[in-house]
Amino acid sequence: MSDAAARSIPPRSPNRIVEEGHHLDPDRPVRILLASATIFSGAVVLLIVFFVVRQAIPVFAHEGLGFLLRSDWDRALEKAWVDPTYWEFGALPVILGTLMTTVGALVTTLALGMGCAVFLAELAPRRLVGPFQSLVRLLSGIPSVVFGLIGLSVFVPLVREMFVSDAMTVKYADVPLDGQSLLVGIIVLTFMILPFFVTVATDSMRSVPESYKLGGLALGMSRWRTITRLVIPPALPGILAGLILAAARAVGEAIALSMVAGSLSNVPSPGHGLVFFLEPVRTMASTIVENGEALAVHSIESAMFGLGTLLLFSSLALSLAARLAFAWFQKRMGMTGGIR
Amino acid sequence: MRGARDETTILRRVMAILGPAWVWACAAVVVAVCLFGIVYLFVEGAKAITPDFLFSETLPSWDEKSSGGIRSPIGGTFIMAVLGLLFTVPVAVAAAIYLAEYVKEESLLARSARLGLEVLAGVPSVVFGMWGLALFSLPQLAFLSSRASGTDADAAFGRSFIVGAIVMAIHILPFVIKVMEENIRSVPGTYRAAAAALGMTKWQGIKKVILPAARPGLITAVILGLGLIVGDTAIVTLTVGGSMTMTGAEQWWLPQHWGATLLNTGSTLTTFVYHQSPAGEGNAPTKAFGAAFLLVLIVLALNLAVAFLGRTRRGEQRV
Repeated sequence: MSDAAARSIPPRSPNRIVEEGHHLDPDRPVRILLASATIFSGAVVLLIVFFVVRQAIPVFAHEGLGFLLRSDWDRALEKAWVDPTYWEFGALPVILGTLMTTVGALVTTLALGMGCAVFLAELAPRRLVGPFQSLVRLLSGIPSVVFGLIGLSVFVPLVREMFVSDAMTVKYADVPLDGQSLLVGIIVLTFMILPFFVTVATDSMRSVPESYKLGGLALGMSRWRTITRLVIPPALPGILAGLILAAARAVGEAIALSMVAGSLSNVPSPGHGLVFFLEPVRTMASTIVENGEALAVHSIESAMFGLGTLLLFSSLALSLAARLAFAWFQKRMGMTGGIR
Repeated sequence: MRGARDETTILRRVMAILGPAWVWACAAVVVAVCLFGIVYLFVEGAKAITPDFLFSETLPSWDEKSSGGIRSPIGGTFIMAVLGLLFTVPVAVAAAIYLAEYVKEESLLARSARLGLEVLAGVPSVVFGMWGLALFSLPQLAFLSSRASGTDADAAFGRSFIVGAIVMAIHILPFVIKVMEENIRSVPGTYRAAAAALGMTKWQGIKKVILPAARPGLITAVILGLGLIVGDTAIVTLTVGGSMTMTGAEQWWLPQHWGATLLNTGSTLTTFVYHQSPAGEGNAPTKAFGAAFLLVLIVLALNLAVAFLGRTRRGEQRV
C-alpha cells in the first residue's frame, strides 16, 4: 500500500545525492520549521479523531449498540431538549437514510457516469471533449448549497406535480409527501458526485494502452465490442476507485440533502411500492448540520458526535479502500505515474 | 450451429448500435440538466441582482421586501477567504516544500504524513464543523469567540469568524498541499543542479529558483483552496453561526470594528443561500437566487483563472 503511494510520485532529480554531500547544514533552522509544518499537517487528523470519538463516548456508554440499532430519533431529540437526563437515542433511521441516498446515488452515477466516461475517453468527437470536460469540471466546483437550491425550487415541485397524487397523500397520511423525498435526494446527489466519478473513470480508461484497442479493431471487432471487452475490463479497478471516492462524498454530503430530502427521520417502507422513493428521509450528515444549536445540550451533543464518529470512520474506511483500489489499478497497468 | 452464430452476430450488431446510443444519451442528459440548471439560476438570479441588492446592508427580517441586501454575506465570504488562506498558505507551502524537496520517500515521517493528509482530505466537512464548534467551546479557547451567555458560565460560545477560518484552513490544507507539492516536484531537476552549481545552499536554491519557477502552480493551489472556502456551507453554518447579519458591530466594515467583527458571528454567501432558501427560516427565495448566482459567478471566475494559469504554465515549460 505505502509501496504504491511511493510509486505514484514521480522519480527524484539525480542531483539529490550531490545535495546530501553537505555535512555542515546552514539550513537547519529552516528545515526544522518545514518539518514541523509537515508533522502538524499530517497529525492534525489525529486531533480530530480523538476529539470526535471522545465526545461520542457518553452516548455509547449509555446505550451501547442500541444507539445504532434502535429507531427513535426526531422524538428523542425533542425529549432530550427539555429533559437533560434523557438518553434513549435511536440513530437507525438516519443511518438508513444515509445508506439509501448513497446507494441510490451510486447506482444512478454508475449508469450515467459510465456513459459519460466512455463518451469522454472513447466515443466523443475531438471537438466535444474539451467543452464536455470543462462542464464536468465546473459541475465539481459548484457549491453544494446551489445544488440544494436548484433541487428545492425545480426538482421538488416537479416530483410533487408528476408523481404525488391526492389519493396517495390520503393513503399514506402519516408521511408528508410534498416532493421533498428520497428520489430528489438521489437525483441531486447524483449530479454532485458524478464529476468525481467521471474524472477518475475517464482517466483510468485513457491509461489503457492504445495497443489493446488497435489489436481488437485489427481483429475485426466492432468499436463498441473493443470498448466493452478490451478497454473497460483492464480499467475496472480504477473505475472502482472512482466509485469509492464518489461514495465518500455522498456519505458526507449534508447541505444539499438537508434542503431537498425532507429532513424527517422517516424510514421509507418497501411495502409502499414505488411510494418508497417519494417519502422523506434524513441523513446523518444533514442531521448534524441542522442541529448545530442543539449541541449545547450535553446528551444531544454526544448523540451528534456519535453520528460524527460513524461518518468519520466510514469516510476513513472509504479513503483507505480507494487507496487499495488505486494500488491494484496501478499494479495492473504496471504504471509508475499516478492517475490522480 | 450456423443459426447460433448468426444470433450472436445479430446481437453484437444490435449492441454496436445500442451501446453508443446509451453513451450519447448519458452525455446529452448531463449536458441538458447542467445547462438547464445554469440557465435557470442565471435567469432567477439576474432578477435579484441590482446595485442596491449587492451593496445595501442585510437586515434581520421575516419579510423578503424588508430584508435588505447582501453586503454582510459578501463581507463574510471575503473575511473567510482572506483569513482561511492566511492560515493555510504558510503551513501548506512549508509542508509541500518539505515533502517535495527534503524528506526521503520511504521514511516513516513521509509515509505517515501522507497517510494523515489523505485521511484528512476524506473527512466530511460537517465533521470538521462539529469538531471546531466543540473544540472552540472549551473555556480555555474563549478568547477566540465570546463567552456564552446563559447556559454554562465557563463555556465559550465557540462560534466566530476566527474560529470558522481556522477550521476551514485545516479543511483545505490537504488539498492545497497536494497541488503545491506536485507543482514543486514538476520543476525540472536541472534547475536544482544549476542552483547548486552556483554555490547556493539547498534552501537558497528553493527560495530563489524552485519556488519562483513553481509560482503559477502555487497560485493554482491557492485558487483551488479559495474555491473550497467560498463553496463550503457546513463548516460555516456550524462554526460561524446562522445569523444573517454581522453580530460584532453595526458598522462592521470600519477598521476600528474589525476585531469585534472577527470575534463574532455573521454569514457568508453560502449560509445566506441556505437560510434564505425555502428550506431555511428567512424565506427570501429571490434573494437566495441572487446570492447563489453571485457564488456561481465567483466559481466560474476561479475556474477560468485556473485554466489560464495552466496555459501559462504549459507555455513556460515549452520554452
